[in-house]
Amino acid sequence: MIQYVLRRVLIALPMLLGAMSIVFFAMRILPGDPCVAMMGDQATTEALADCTKHLGLDRPLAVQYVDYLWRSVQFDFGRSLIQGYLVSEYIARMFPHTLVLVMASAVVAALVGVPIGILSALKRRSPLIDYPLRIFALLGLSMPVFWLGILLLIVFSLRLDIFPLIGGGDLDGVISMIRSGEVFTYPADFLAAVGSVLHHLALPAFALGFTLAATVSRLSRSAMLEVISQDYIRTARAKGQIERMVIYKHALRNMMVPLLTIIGIFVAIALTGTVLTETVFTRPGLGKMLVDSIGARDYPMAQGAITVFTMIIIVVNLVVDLLYAVVDPRITHR
Amino acid sequence: MAIVRRADPLDLTLAVPGAEARGATRGHLRRWLPIGIGIVLATGMIVMAAAAPLIAPLNPSAQYSDAVLKGPGAADRHWLGTDEFGRDILSRIVWGARVSLEVGLVSVVFAFALGVPLGILAGFRGAHVETAIMRCADMLMAFPTLLLALLIVTALGGSLMNEMMAIGIALTPNFVRLARSLALTIREQDYIVAARALGSGQLRLMVRHVFPNTLYALVVVATLYIATAIRTEASLSFLGLGLPPPTPSWGNILSEGRQFIKCCPWITTFSGLAIMVAVLAFNLMGDALRDLLDPRLKGE
Repeated sequence: MIQYVLRRVLIALPMLLGAMSIVFFAMRILPGDPCVAMMGDQATTEALADCTKHLGLDRPLAVQYVDYLWRSVQFDFGRSLIQGYLVSEYIARMFPHTLVLVMASAVVAALVGVPIGILSALKRRSPLIDYPLRIFALLGLSMPVFWLGILLLIVFSLRLDIFPLIGGGDLDGVISMIRSGEVFTYPADFLAAVGSVLHHLALPAFALGFTLAATVSRLSRSAMLEVISQDYIRTARAKGQIERMVIYKHALRNMMVPLLTIIGIFVAIALTGTVLTETVFTRPGLGKMLVDSIGARDYPMAQGAITVFTMIIIVVNLVVDLLYAVVDPRITHR
Repeated sequence: MAIVRRADPLDLTLAVPGAEARGATRGHLRRWLPIGIGIVLATGMIVMAAAAPLIAPLNPSAQYSDAVLKGPGAADRHWLGTDEFGRDILSRIVWGARVSLEVGLVSVVFAFALGVPLGILAGFRGAHVETAIMRCADMLMAFPTLLLALLIVTALGGSLMNEMMAIGIALTPNFVRLARSLALTIREQDYIVAARALGSGQLRLMVRHVFPNTLYALVVVATLYIATAIRTEASLSFLGLGLPPPTPSWGNILSEGRQFIKCCPWITTFSGLAIMVAVLAFNLMGDALRDLLDPRLKGE
């Protein structure tokens, strides 16, 4: 087991290093001088030289590279070129918004996707059930999240005026109330703040969750299909077990193991989805921060956001790999 | 205890006379209907892209100042309405098919041409070659397709060529992985041993024997990745990182129409619908092809 954990960690570390190197060099070949972007075309040569020195861009590339790696490990991504605040602080403020969106859409995706996947696997021979479910999965896979988001906004925000058009609600307020303990002194205010967060979250979570549900349903369908073709299912049926019990007691439990690996894929897709979802719904978060900073040529911000995205994906995959070994001990012996 | 397990529905149908033929028809329909719909939609899109100058009722960049932000059907000549510059949405969508299809096909061909040889080399040679290639692929796989494409497009700048290259590079590791795993199984086959015994060199083995045998699975996956590429292109354009305006790409039309969803929802609705139908077409085709060609699913 320890050997397995070590091996996984040793695979993840160079991957992280490589991914971060790709980010660094991609950011370095960007067209345009960040100082010109920051100070405008009218800046004097001295001012530009000063800025270059200040940002450390006059140092050799290798030195900048090592410096970037070392600082990234400490979550120090420098300061925003446009607003001037610390990138790491901004990321820390944006992260909860993205986290709640990913979690809420995961709930939607799981509640919709897993039952659909199981049902379509079990009823794959009855067209009346299988066809609509397959069409649903295909629609979800093909519908771009930003388009679904816009359609939802048109109907529920503009026409029916049920949900807000932009923003992410008072999540900062909720977090600070939890931290300061005000949650107990002013429970009504706290609930109101939570309500506003959920109100703002509903449409984005549904849009992202729906598109993710398609992926989840397909993956759980194939997981279920794989499980019910196993010998122990045939054995259970052969010994006269009721079909319902075969599914509940034998198939469903064993299906959960392959489903675990989905989480890794899921997080990667969901994070990509947040970039689009947050942009459509004008919600604060890491994804919107990334798009905005690229648009504004704010390199430290963009670099910080992409680095954090990559770190999350690699770490989640590592954790899933380890969890997988806990759930299925045979893995460690392979 | 009584045995309550119900017999499989399939067993019952076999016992009824004539049911076999009906079942077979249904099976055929089930297998061919999705691929039929996929082919019809995809062909429609290809025709639309190829014959855009003939099909598009108006010039996609022409600005009709008398018809700014007009709804569908307005003034007769703008069937799907106009945008804020008075440009005809239908014509822009028809021309946009060119961009989407071009990006979809070229980027997948690029990823195929780059990824498959590397994957076959990795799977066939093994050892250090495999480790080196696969570690690079894993590194790129750490980025979701859209994020990697976004990073590359940001670095290179938004143009048609750069967009195709960015999406192509982002898709490459998928082809490397698949080609490698296929090559791993194929290299153990008897016909490879036979070819080797007959004196075939490594290169000949890979080109003449391994590659043709990986082809069918790779083509299926390539069809599915065309859908991914089209969606990624639309996403990049939507984020404002794709082709610079006024080029009519579906993502651009949708992105520009976003500011007007309150008054003029048709701009975003129709351009988004075009994206969805295109992605659906290639998803359907790829799915159906996989079901047809994957022997493990044939019994289903």
